[in-house]
Amino acid sequence: MIAYLTNLATLATIFGILAASLNLLIGYAGIFSIAHAVFFGLGAYAGAQLAMLLVPDLLLACLAGGLVAGALSLCLALPALRVRGEYFVAASLGLQMMAVTVFSEAHAFTGGHGGLVGIPLASLLGFDISAPPTFLVVCLVVLALVLVVIRVLMRGSFGRSLMAIRDSESAAEAFGKNVARLKTLAVVLGCAMAGVAGVLFAFYMAFVNVESFTLEQSILVMAMVIIGGTATLIGPLVGVLLLLLLPAGLSFLPFIPPTEIGSVQQLIYGLAMALLMIFRPAGLAGRSAGQR
Amino acid sequence: MADIPLSVRGLDKHFGGLAAVQNVDLDLRPGVTTALVGPNGAGKTTVFNLITGNIPADAGDVLLDGASVRGLQPYQIARRGVARSFQDLRLFGRMSVRDNVLAALEPAPWLWQPGGGGARRARAKAVETALERTGLTAQADARAMDLAYAERKFLSLARILATGARIWLLDEPASGLDPNSRARFVALVRQAVSEGVTICLIEHNLDIVTELADRIAFLDRGAKLAEGEPQEILGDPQLISIYFGEPR
Repeated sequence: MIAYLTNLATLATIFGILAASLNLLIGYAGIFSIAHAVFFGLGAYAGAQLAMLLVPDLLLACLAGGLVAGALSLCLALPALRVRGEYFVAASLGLQMMAVTVFSEAHAFTGGHGGLVGIPLASLLGFDISAPPTFLVVCLVVLALVLVVIRVLMRGSFGRSLMAIRDSESAAEAFGKNVARLKTLAVVLGCAMAGVAGVLFAFYMAFVNVESFTLEQSILVMAMVIIGGTATLIGPLVGVLLLLLLPAGLSFLPFIPPTEIGSVQQLIYGLAMALLMIFRPAGLAGRSAGQR
Repeated sequence: MADIPLSVRGLDKHFGGLAAVQNVDLDLRPGVTTALVGPNGAGKTTVFNLITGNIPADAGDVLLDGASVRGLQPYQIARRGVARSFQDLRLFGRMSVRDNVLAALEPAPWLWQPGGGGARRARAKAVETALERTGLTAQADARAMDLAYAERKFLSLARILATGARIWLLDEPASGLDPNSRARFVALVRQAVSEGVTICLIEHNLDIVTELADRIAFLDRGAKLAEGEPQEILGDPQLISIYFGEPR
């Protein structure tokens, strides 16, 4: 049971980092990307390759994963600068679809459909951190660091500028904000953090393949952010807990046959999203209009 | 030319077959309030959008201190001291009143603003002064979206005030205000003008125009029909009939 709970907590922590990084884009900058799993994947592949070819050091792998995901996020930033709203959603969908094809076909980097198998156990500055409880602590530290960085940035001028752009791009420009540069910076930062989450995921699973970086994954992470509450520090974490624990919780209900859990889960997700948007559009942890 | 902060020369803009602005000339002088007056669809807001670079002109030029700003992005023109308000206000709705004003003062596109603690304190002081002058100090921590209508109007002015911009373009700043708020607005604009700010405003309320404007430019169907002192323009029966949409 402890091993099961540790596994659940580790995955929740990794997805917490991923959801917090997407919240930077959706919640603070108003950039609705449904390609976030791509950068999660890029980080995972980059970290796994570094571990398999050079050294399985988590710090180096996180740097590599963050850099690769951050650098390639310019593919997302470029359309983000030119289109907004629903057009950007469509552009990011295109990127997500292309990336899945590339992940499936680029055997040398991703191992194709079979994925990368045999990722070495993680170490940190020479110390073995692969034991599940140790790895969970490391993941929690990374999550805490990510949240601190987001909090510091969002309470400062960068965060105010992003939120100003989110609320009114034309007014932000009218007050001297270089919208293109600020959006690019937000995308690079958010995707680099997703890359770090990907590295942790790759080390934890010791195996990665394209199935973890599909459109469904991007939508799941987006649902975590929206259900939990955008533009709040705690919201994405609430969303992660709810959406990751839900399937686990459902499996304990004796009257749902194990083969039907997936369908029931989808129904609950859909219903929860619809009800939330009607009764609490700011998400579970978000502030509604008029609430001080 | 250099003593005129903002000058518009032969500005032209067509949207498909519609001539939105036709060959408009305009000089905004320091410490002078100019009102753009005309019926709906006359091209007043389009003139503002052309000045601030929100839409590109087909022809003509906008000169700031005698230098052309044609082709510059809106944020680059804003940083040269031109601030504007919008008819629909475009507040940063989910941000607090204080952050709305503070965000207007932080143009650097990096993770932090240059200048260190001294500059940060100066910005904080400018915010408090702007909130005080617009009567929003008590609402500083409220979200913009939760404010009453008049308070939202004053917040849009507070953002401009705090920037220290020397040219203000105000698009229907007093529409929908109650008489008390309107009087506060007039006093605020007069104080800014006395401090040397150059103001151009679009306003449908002719009482406000009469109270504030030193000059009026009358636009109709994209063209400037007349420019002069308020009594001269508002006393012209032909212009007034155009303004009220009487058949010509």
